[in-house]
Amino acid sequence: MNEELDSQLSAMFDDELPAAECELLARRLSRDEQLKARWGRYAVIGATIRAERGVPLNAALARKVNAAILAEPALGAVATPQRAPISAWRWRKGVAGLAVAAGVATVSIFWLRGQTPLATGPVAARVAAPVQQVLAATPVAASSAPAGQADSYVVPRTPAGRSVVVPITELANYVVAHSAVSSPVARRNLLSAFMTSDPGAAGTEEPLEAARSNAQ
Amino acid sequence: MGADASDLSLVRRVQRGDKGAFDALVLKYQHKLVKLVMRYVRNPAEAEDIAQEAFIKAYRALPQFRGDSAFYTWLYRIAINTAKNAVVSRDRSPVEYDLDRKSEESNDMQGRMKDSETPEALVLTDEIRSIVNTAIDALPEDLRTAIVLRELDGLSYEEIAAAMDCPVGTVRSRIFRAREAIDQRLREVFEGGLGRAEELG
Repeated sequence: MNEELDSQLSAMFDDELPAAECELLARRLSRDEQLKARWGRYAVIGATIRAERGVPLNAALARKVNAAILAEPALGAVATPQRAPISAWRWRKGVAGLAVAAGVATVSIFWLRGQTPLATGPVAARVAAPVQQVLAATPVAASSAPAGQADSYVVPRTPAGRSVVVPITELANYVVAHSAVSSPVARRNLLSAFMTSDPGAAGTEEPLEAARSNAQ
Repeated sequence: MGADASDLSLVRRVQRGDKGAFDALVLKYQHKLVKLVMRYVRNPAEAEDIAQEAFIKAYRALPQFRGDSAFYTWLYRIAINTAKNAVVSRDRSPVEYDLDRKSEESNDMQGRMKDSETPEALVLTDEIRSIVNTAIDALPEDLRTAIVLRELDGLSYEEIAAAMDCPVGTVRSRIFRAREAIDQRLREVFEGGLGRAEELG
C-alpha cells in the first residue's frame, strides 16, 4: 500500500485533507475495498481510544446497512448537484421577475398613451391644468411648474381650442377670401408668416392664429 | 482545507449514485452513532437496530442534504429522532407493560442474543480493545500524544501543532504513523482487517 495514499487517508479521516484531494480520494475509497477496510479500522482505533463502552467494534452494523442500501435504488437520478438547481431556479426567478416588470411597464406606457388625450382622469387633469395656465400666460414657460407642484415630464397636449391645424392651402384661401377687408400691412405680415412657417408642422397653428388676429 | 470537505466529498458521490461512498460514511460513524443511541436505549442490540434504521433513513434523505451543516450533525439529528420514536413506540407496546423486571432482563439478553454474531462480537470487541490499548502504550510519546489529542480531545491538526509546538505537517505525519502502528497490530491478529464482518471469521 502506498504510504502517501495512506497518509492522505488518515488526514481525510480527520477532515484535514484539502477538498480537491478529498474528491479524488473519495472516488478511490468508495471502490477500493482494501482502502475501505483500513478506513474502517481507523474508526475502530478512534472508538477504542475514546473508550466507547458497550459499543461493538466489529463491522456487523456496517455490513447490515450496506446490505440494506444495496436493495435501495441509487440516488443518482434524484440528487445530482443540489446547489445547482437552486441557483438555476433563483436565476430563473430573477429573469421571470424582470420579464413581468418589463411587461407591466410596457402595458402601462400603452395604457397611458391611450388615456392621455381624453384628459378625463385625475392625473391627466392635474398635469394638464397648470400647463394650460402657464401656456396661456407665457407660451415658452411651459417647463417651469408652479411652486409646490411636482415637475412633470409629460409633454402637454395642445389645448382643445388651439388644436386646429389648418392645411396651408386652406389658410391661403382664407387670406384671399378676406383680402378685401384686411389692411395691406396685415396681408404683408400674413404672407411673411406663410413664408417662414413649416407646412404640416405643429408650428403652423401659430401663423393661423396670427392670421386670424391680423385679419380681424 | 474546507471544514467537513471529507464527508462532503463522500456525500456528493452518494448523491450521484455511488453506494460505496455511503459505506465509507457508515464505517466512519457507526460507533459514534451507536454510542449516541445508547443514551436512549440500554440494550446494545436495540441501539444497533436504531442506528441501522437511522443510517437507512439518512441514505433515503440524502437528496435533500445540501451541505448547509456538517454531515455528522445532520446524521446526529436523524439518529436522535429515530431513537426517540423507537422509545415512544416501545413504551406504547402492550407487551412491554406486562414485563416484570426479571422477564425484562431476560428480554434484554434475548435482544443481545438475537444477532447470532453478537457473542463473538462481544469477545472480539474486548480483544480489539486490548490490542489497540497495548499498541497505544507501545507508541513513542510524540505519536501517542498526537493521536490521543486528536481522537480523545478532538483537536484539529492546527491546535495539536500549537500544543506540541511543531508544524502542522509533522502532526499529520505523527497521527498517520500512530494509526499505522496500531493498525499493523490489528492486521497481524485478524489477518484481513476489521473493515468487513465476514473477514472477522
